[in-house]
Amino acid sequence: MMSSIGTEPYIMLSLVLFLMGALGVLMRRNAILVFMSVELMLNSANLALVAFAQQWQQINGHAFVFFVMTVAAAEVAVGLALIVNIFRERQSINLDDLQQMHG
Amino acid sequence: MEWLFLVVSLVAVFAAGMMLTRRNAVHSALFLIVNFGCVAFLYLMLDAPFLAMVQVTVYTGAIMVLFLFVIMLLGAEATSDTTGQMRWLGFAGTAVAILILLIFGFPIASNMLGDETVEPLDSTAQLRVINAIPAEPGKAFLLADAELECADETVSALSGGLSASIFLTAAAGNVPDVLFSDVVYNDPRDQLRGYQELASADYAARASVSDGNCVSSSILEQEIAFAKDSAHTIVAFVNAAGVVDIRSMEDDISEPSVGKMRLTLFNAVTDASISLVDVGQYTAIQTLCDDSACDSLLPHRRLIDELPAGGSVGIELNEGDYNLAFVDSEQNVLRVLADYKAERGIVETRLFVREPGLPGNQASYRANVFSVLGAPSFGGPEAIGQVLFIDYVLPVQLVGMLLLVALIGVIVLARPDALRQAERRRINQRRRVNRPLVSVISQQTGSDVLSGQYLAKLPGGSDDPDAE
Repeated sequence: MMSSIGTEPYIMLSLVLFLMGALGVLMRRNAILVFMSVELMLNSANLALVAFAQQWQQINGHAFVFFVMTVAAAEVAVGLALIVNIFRERQSINLDDLQQMHG
Repeated sequence: MEWLFLVVSLVAVFAAGMMLTRRNAVHSALFLIVNFGCVAFLYLMLDAPFLAMVQVTVYTGAIMVLFLFVIMLLGAEATSDTTGQMRWLGFAGTAVAILILLIFGFPIASNMLGDETVEPLDSTAQLRVINAIPAEPGKAFLLADAELECADETVSALSGGLSASIFLTAAAGNVPDVLFSDVVYNDPRDQLRGYQELASADYAARASVSDGNCVSSSILEQEIAFAKDSAHTIVAFVNAAGVVDIRSMEDDISEPSVGKMRLTLFNAVTDASISLVDVGQYTAIQTLCDDSACDSLLPHRRLIDELPAGGSVGIELNEGDYNLAFVDSEQNVLRVLADYKAERGIVETRLFVREPGLPGNQASYRANVFSVLGAPSFGGPEAIGQVLFIDYVLPVQLVGMLLLVALIGVIVLARPDALRQAERRRINQRRRVNRPLVSVISQQTGSDVLSGQYLAKLPGGSDDPDAE
């Protein structure tokens, strides 16, 4: 399926999704939702990479997307394990409750 | 196409917005799955079908299932999600996000609406050198655009300033791996084909075959126009007269038609044109058939193409098995390719040469394979595999290590309260008492067992303070 609409719309969409993810990280206090917002940001970065790879016909962008996906998978696994442990400890995953490092 | 993108991207943004605003974490996760699905669809539109499938399996499959699993395991569907003090952060963040969107989005949008589009990189021309001279030590094939005096001096002089002169050398008997020290391959497939990237321009190519004693046995001077996106092969071979000869041919590097393979044949037997015939299902053609017997031996032969003397021809073959034969103008079978398997998408280059010093029978001709390449499509698994496992082997290994470390980390973290369980085990163990039993009894009962009447009744008494 050849794209005939150019790269810019994809970059635009990627920008919008990235900002939404960043907003989610800032605004939501549920740790799981913060994680999901981070996933959204990673995905928008992937979308930009694939769009540029298509524009320049360079397969390297796809390879980077693979690496990003791998890192995201590892991050999610470790992060969710941490969240489970924190929930066991404190019966809450509200980020505002995790203030023991507060100065 | 535009409305398709519009619909999919609107759904993606809508799903992202719903994910951000839902109170119930399960609903958020489900909307994020919708968003990931839309992104996978956009990957399909961007010529990345394999990444789209990986996106579906890894993200919407594995990662989101993990999210949902954790949410439901913890019962955290509707955990408190209110910020205590920093309520202003949300509004400030939204304002900053809109600001960034305007700053970065405006140039993109204006570029999108205007007709000013970004052109892809200029591709350069490609050149490869095939040395089909039978291997002799000390004999190398040189191509230079400068005057060629002596092989060794030329090597040192020309390799120092590659920008000034094009210089290629190939050891006898093969396609050289890397000719320039700083070759950049735009397409990793070119490395497999043996092509070198050159700036597209006109070159006065001077090719020479020289031995180690600075003697040029053959020189080709030829204007080769390295046009954009063109590919040339320069072949050095021993011709029918036993003299080293050099020819250049322009290659067709486009992908073959759907379901077909392309076979590029170069006829390095320069004294005669040769026909490539398909001899059909006949199996007994391994033996040489001479002039008179051929008509009866090869009754169903079909001419595929003519190879002019010293020229090349590109043939597209349908998928399937062939029995091919090279036949000269007098219908002598020079060489047979029995059970030749044509696979779709393959691009193969073969060089038809006569081996010097042998009489003219089938054994003295070879159809040497110089490059076979299955042409992987952009974004397909084969192309990605090539770039991952050729160009990015080390990062792949490192990422594998990262996954291993993450795996171990998760196992350690997810053990059900490893530390506290050990503690509990210690507590639950029968308490060891270092004090004599009587002192415990006296402490717990409040009566002084050590004095008076109780002491005599106790067996063993307090004689042994380390009892137990």
